[in-house]
Amino acid sequence: MSAQTPYEPKIVAFLCKWCSSAGSDLAGVSRIQYPANATPITVACSGGVSPQFVLSAFHKGADGVLVSGCHIGDCHYMEGNFHARRKLYLVKELLEFTGVEPDRFRMSWVSAAEGAKFAQVVRDFVEDLRPLGPQDKLKAERP
Amino acid sequence: MIDLGALHTQVRDILETGEVRAVVGWRRGSRGMLAEPVTIATPEEAETLVWDPTCFHNLSLTLVEERKKPSWRPGKPIAVVAKGCDARSLTVLMQENCFRRDEVYVIGVSCAGSGVLDERKLAQRLPGVEPDSAAFDGDAFVCATAGGEDRIPARELMADRCLECRDAHPKLNNVVFGEAQPRAFDPPFAALARFEQEQVGVAERWQFWQRQFERCIRCFACRSVCPMCYCEECVVDSINMAVGADTTAAEKANRIRWIERSASRADNIGYHMTRALHLAGRCIDCAECERVCPVNIPLRLLNNKLEREARVAFGYEPGASIDLPALVASFRDDDPNHFIR
Ligand code: SF4
Ligand code: SF4
Ligand code: FES
Repeated sequence: MSAQTPYEPKIVAFLCKWCSSAGSDLAGVSRIQYPANATPITVACSGGVSPQFVLSAFHKGADGVLVSGCHIGDCHYMEGNFHARRKLYLVKELLEFTGVEPDRFRMSWVSAAEGAKFAQVVRDFVEDLRPLGPQDKLKAERP
Repeated sequence: MIDLGALHTQVRDILETGEVRAVVGWRRGSRGMLAEPVTIATPEEAETLVWDPTCFHNLSLTLVEERKKPSWRPGKPIAVVAKGCDARSLTVLMQENCFRRDEVYVIGVSCAGSGVLDERKLAQRLPGVEPDSAAFDGDAFVCATAGGEDRIPARELMADRCLECRDAHPKLNNVVFGEAQPRAFDPPFAALARFEQEQVGVAERWQFWQRQFERCIRCFACRSVCPMCYCEECVVDSINMAVGADTTAAEKANRIRWIERSASRADNIGYHMTRALHLAGRCIDCAECERVCPVNIPLRLLNNKLEREARVAFGYEPGASIDLPALVASFRDDDPNHFIR
């Protein structure tokens, strides 16, 4: 990479199939403009996002990690997002505690109808990540 | 004060009557003042058990190790001598169905008004001296050395977790020795609060932890000593990939390795963060990981941090009851939501 290339944060986005992934599709088909920094990974439910996925994304060099699911009460599997909220709260706390910038990890509830909200979440995330620069705290040193 | 004679009698009795098949306790070690874990199976050995400020080992680990052996058979219960913290870890193990309540006979020993000593603090207090023994004496520890006896206030030598202990009297027990006594040392999470006051910003925290994690040699002593780290296959091992005749070299090479086993800064952090998360709601603060670490990494801070978050955010107290659902297998409608967009 040449030194001139402007820094673009890489985001790994775990999106639940039933809501947030559909929401991101809607953003696409509605032709809403938003930055292309997020690599989506569709998961069955936010409740299936293991803390290990988050750590692993950082380990592989993600600058930010987003987990997005259905609104509370709307999870396709009834309680998945309740579990996600509790588990990932701990992950968020631990990351901050060890000195990883809090803005590198984010969660959102985005329904299948909220294409505009999804675009806004990604837009905000990219803006908050930009000043932080590349994430190298949790990234593996190997080439 | 614990009547050691009464404890010996109790141990002899339950072995003689066959109420239990073995007793796990501490005996004098072969060197210096240190006690060491021992498993006895005959009434005659009852007398070899000791109780002193060097009984820091959490003996529920011995039980877990026993359970993992291929030779393990269900049968009469095994007795374990357990301090307040050890009894909490037995509670968690039962909560997780590692053991049924009737498989373990808990001989509680109350730390009452003191606790166990911290070898690192002792080494600072008596530099270059290796005491031959250490004993409880009211609010002090008496260390016998070649030059005579040193009576040192317990407060100055006690492990941090003991200073902050809330349940020094084992709640889970079949029989208990020593009284429940009010304690006046540090408030819970005092060491954690000190750390947070000293290392305030994200940058300072990172500086601190980077210096810690860089040192880790990945000896896995912290994992080996942890009674809660009983997984058949640890996330850092990933050995269980089914390899058949048609498994290709590429498949083997590409099998998922979440975290490498050997030491490197990023992988060390991955290991320690994973371990802290796996212990959330399960770690009962016996602080054995921190005690055994050969390079002095303050692991207790990580576990305490999540313990406090679980308490504050979810009202969860690890080791409080066998019937409690696991922290991450339960939720409340009003769990924090403020951090989610
Ligand atoms: S005991 Fe210390 S050095 Fe060994 S793996 Fe644990 S933290 Fe690393
Ligand atoms: S670190 Fe996690 S996976 Fe490894 S033994 Fe402990 S609990 Fe199991
Ligand atoms: S299915 Fe969307 S959060 Fe569970």
